[in-house]
Amino acid sequence: MPDFSVVGRGVTRLDARAKARGETRYLGDMSLPGMLHGKILRSPHPHARIVGIDCRRALSLAGVKAVVTGRDLPPHKYGYLVQDELILARDLVRFAGEEVAAVAAVDEDTAQEALDLIRVEYEVLPAVFEMEDAMAEGAPRIHDVERNIASRVVINRGDVERGFQEAHLVMEDRFTTQSVHQGYLDPVSCITRWEDDGSLTIHGVTQAPFIQREVMAASIGLAPEQIRVIQPAAGGGFGGKLDQKVWVIAAVLARAAGKPVRLILSYEEELTAGRPRVPLVIDLKMGFARDGLIKAKDTGILADNGAYCSYGPGVISVASHRSDSLYRYPAVRCDAKLVYTNKTPTGAYRGFGNPQVHFAVESLIDRAAVELGIDPAEIRLRNAVQKGEVTIHGWVLKSCALDECIKQAMDASAWKEKRSRLGPGRGLGMACMVHVSSNRASYRPFDGASALVKLEGDGGAVLTCGEVDFGQGNFTAYAQMISEELGIRPDQVKVLPPDTSISTFGLGSSGSREIFIGGGAVRLAARDARRQLLNEASVLLGSSPDELEIEGGIVFPRGNREAGRSIAEVAREAVYRGRGLGILGRGTFDPGSELPDAGKYGNISGCYTFACHVAEVEVDPETGAVKVVDYVAAHDLGRAINPAGAEGQIEGGVAQGIGFTLSEELVSREGRILNHGLLDYRIPTPPDLPRIRPILVEEDDPVGPYGAKGLGEPPQNPVPAAIANAVYDAVGVQFRDLPMVPERVAAGLAGRSPKGRPGKGAA
Amino acid sequence: MKKPITLNVNGESHRLEVPVHRTLVDVLRDDLGLTGTKKGCDMGECGACTVLLDGKAVNSCLVLAVQADGRQVTTIEGLAVNGKLDRLQETFIEHGAIQCGFCTPGMILSAKALLAENAKPTETEVREGLAGNLCRCTGYVKIVEAVLAASGSPDQAGSPEQKEKD
Repeated sequence: MPDFSVVGRGVTRLDARAKARGETRYLGDMSLPGMLHGKILRSPHPHARIVGIDCRRALSLAGVKAVVTGRDLPPHKYGYLVQDELILARDLVRFAGEEVAAVAAVDEDTAQEALDLIRVEYEVLPAVFEMEDAMAEGAPRIHDVERNIASRVVINRGDVERGFQEAHLVMEDRFTTQSVHQGYLDPVSCITRWEDDGSLTIHGVTQAPFIQREVMAASIGLAPEQIRVIQPAAGGGFGGKLDQKVWVIAAVLARAAGKPVRLILSYEEELTAGRPRVPLVIDLKMGFARDGLIKAKDTGILADNGAYCSYGPGVISVASHRSDSLYRYPAVRCDAKLVYTNKTPTGAYRGFGNPQVHFAVESLIDRAAVELGIDPAEIRLRNAVQKGEVTIHGWVLKSCALDECIKQAMDASAWKEKRSRLGPGRGLGMACMVHVSSNRASYRPFDGASALVKLEGDGGAVLTCGEVDFGQGNFTAYAQMISEELGIRPDQVKVLPPDTSISTFGLGSSGSREIFIGGGAVRLAARDARRQLLNEASVLLGSSPDELEIEGGIVFPRGNREAGRSIAEVAREAVYRGRGLGILGRGTFDPGSELPDAGKYGNISGCYTFACHVAEVEVDPETGAVKVVDYVAAHDLGRAINPAGAEGQIEGGVAQGIGFTLSEELVSREGRILNHGLLDYRIPTPPDLPRIRPILVEEDDPVGPYGAKGLGEPPQNPVPAAIANAVYDAVGVQFRDLPMVPERVAAGLAGRSPKGRPGKGAA
Repeated sequence: MKKPITLNVNGESHRLEVPVHRTLVDVLRDDLGLTGTKKGCDMGECGACTVLLDGKAVNSCLVLAVQADGRQVTTIEGLAVNGKLDRLQETFIEHGAIQCGFCTPGMILSAKALLAENAKPTETEVREGLAGNLCRCTGYVKIVEAVLAASGSPDQAGSPEQKEKD
């Protein structure tokens, strides 16, 4: 691998000092003159007709400046993939928590008091909460679609039946996953303000400013360009800040009140009416040859959409086939259905359907390995895809270090010494994963990114682009790339968060694209700035650009540093010579991915990432509590631009995965979420977690900047299966339902076969 | 109903008249402009609003401003002395313990209170000491490293330099 001077080195995050001092401004730290405070009235019923709304008492409360209901608004629809939501409910509410009215008042207490004064008369309607019930003949229709099926994806490739006939072993089981919240601590929020020219300015955090304004424009009767999104610092996102309907509500409030409105969701609203993960029921059947090679796979998926689609159709598309590019599948079939229920709508969360399906597939493979008497690591190595291959869905693997991830995870976890050899109640489990770094199917016109790098008169640089850092640190990685290309220090680079009226177009932070795609554009913009810098310097120095070198902020003729001029001088001169324009590097990067066909065949991403995780657990036979005592996560990330940042992505993703596996679940009864606080919704705390051990497996990708690939989502994908497989190794029972809370594990252990491990049981 | 109080925040005394139901976090943020104290769940469950009250870590969303009358409050803004960062702020920066940063002020103040009581904690003691502070970005690995490094505890998970050698 070539060596770089800044890329791949330990560079302190650009924003760390301000954050450590408490100086960083998040949305909740901002206000505008004359700003009002917004609150939302939500439906208490999972399915009801709105008979009438009486806002008179709320409107007459001192300090209330606007009350808005669905009937005050034009019936524009809202939605990213399917426009099935209204901004505020008009005649029907379809989940407990749906937005019915909104208030703007001089302070939050007054707005809250006004909500209590709004009288809504409901006629309660029959509701459906289970997917099977929703699809049954005669079930109440939640939307005008057959059997409440919102979306369906069917995949059929290769001869699945023949694969099963030829298989030596066929395994079949049902796996279920639950709804979990993204759990960022900084709740969804915004400040909306209408300008004199009728345009709308929104200060707020979204993972995709340009997409979000496109999604919301029609619902508010504007063109996307009339909406200006300005991003403050962001306190996490993880997929949950892709869909920002709250912004639209704040916008209609601001219009009604004639003043700017700030709206910040309470954590209770986050947990009851956010856009949590889509829960799946996965019926999985796999056939194996005697040597462990996979012969066929058949999957049925039911996905609980909740009352509205949000990102659900995209999630089931991923769930239907993404994991198939992990191994050499000769034949796969999948029928995935997204089903409306009268529950909180579900949406995007780190992994986007992939963690759920990896849980099922990687669990069943482990059971097959035990049945066949093959080491679980060995069965994975035998089936693993390799660099240079084209997978069953047409994915072109220009880089792939899956084998290496498995081997390094085995070494680091002492797999050979420990697997099935630990004391009672302790075990080791492995799981692998595949993911994309961007996805052509998610935004058809463009799968790339763009960036502008402006050189400043002090020798520094300013980057603007449409990409987002919601905390993961890609802005520091961008600064490293610019530093690498221009020969300046990373702390001389200022990275501006997106402003849609100033920044060039970008798709933002989703699909693990920010390093691979966003970084690709940043590097090219920096190279363009370098080219312009050398041209300008060549005029000043009287030598041709290709005779010049840049080092330590100086441009000089090769071998004659004393004759050089500082970048600052050259940049200043360029401003005058260019009559103000100066050096402005432009970069655009498209990874050359393909739009898949209707059957989901096609090279959808510019590169693919792989990982292997090994969990070591301790199971308390009395209580059923599972403790993760060690965790190794080896990731094929191409190249780490910022190694500490990459480790942080892995550590955080694994921690979220452990929460998903062992403790987190939005529990609902009759459509109402019962655990609407963080005491009952159990995000892992420091004592709950082991010292997670990331391993950076670096093999350059030929397309990615400096060989780098994406790392945002991958770390969560293998976690549930790695832990379930470790529990299987520890106690001989494989758990197929998440989360593996103590009650569930204790019940499963009570019914286990007395033979113990390596068992063949499942619970 | 309002009540006059005196808040001593970061060594500065403030005479305020506050509604009796108003929480300390709101007074710090909205009345004194000290927005370094973050408001996350507002229910005492996430720890983002942690400040030191007479040296003890408290969730400032669970303390009424009137309860802090006459007492010493330290927020993240008060941790650096004459522009010099506290050792914990430095180790959080050096160890990559900060991602989105929303939990950071509360996390650092909880760690400060922990180290004041237990100068050389073990890794387990650090994890238990920070149990009231949630972080969703980091998995706590580098946060725990940073606190151990600041303490000079022998249980150190390894400074960045040590890791380079691995």
